[in-house]
Amino acid sequence: MKPINYVEALNSHYGSLGFPPYQWTVNETAPLTRLGKPIENCTVSLLTSGGVSHCSLPGFNPDARNDHRLDTVQNDASSADFEINDSYYNHSDAESDLNCVFPIDRLRELAEDGVIGSVATRLWSGFMGRIYNRTKVIQESAPAFVEKLKEDGVDILIAAPA
Amino acid sequence: MAEEAGIATVCVSTGRDLTEQVKPPRSLFLNYPMGNNFGGPDDLDLQTRILRRALAMIDDVTVGGTLIDWEEAWPKKFEYFRGK
Repeated sequence: MKPINYVEALNSHYGSLGFPPYQWTVNETAPLTRLGKPIENCTVSLLTSGGVSHCSLPGFNPDARNDHRLDTVQNDASSADFEINDSYYNHSDAESDLNCVFPIDRLRELAEDGVIGSVATRLWSGFMGRIYNRTKVIQESAPAFVEKLKEDGVDILIAAPA
Repeated sequence: MAEEAGIATVCVSTGRDLTEQVKPPRSLFLNYPMGNNFGGPDDLDLQTRILRRALAMIDDVTVGGTLIDWEEAWPKKFEYFRGK
């Protein structure tokens, strides 16, 4: 089957609810860093925007707009100890197995097998829902996040938007 | 921003048109339902292979904005999720 046209579907859906057309980010170019060292020596972190929260914390607002909350997930957290609150996608599979959207078990296995060097101390869940204030992301939230990745010595970040 | 700081990133995406617009440095697109970025529940083999393919892009990709299509189809037809 052809991929879903999300731009059209989302604008139609939310337009019918009275929202203005979403201003999608359009980039013509993208930066690229070459690490210069093998993946088996790299520290890897994960980020999901799928409304995933540890059970020790309040859940995300499933209908969130402009929520820049970013949770730290310890790298030894059990994948059974999370909940998902997000009205924007069907997370029944991910609730059954967190690894569908946030593969913390699979990443730990790759570290144990020596495919990667290590799992970063902190993994990340946040920026869920619909974020309209893009400038705040670019000027505040994203740079602050990058600083945390640098603190942890992260070489590679795998991002799973949902 | 992460790339400029020396951190290599891979986006494992289920929205092809959105990803093409945003143009992350490296994207692995799976034509799977949103939220199944790494496949189905308890399918450890598939989850691992997707994660390993994403990691392989760190070495393979030489041009920023590269999008690679995952070749394995989702087993069922699926549609845009209109929310709860």
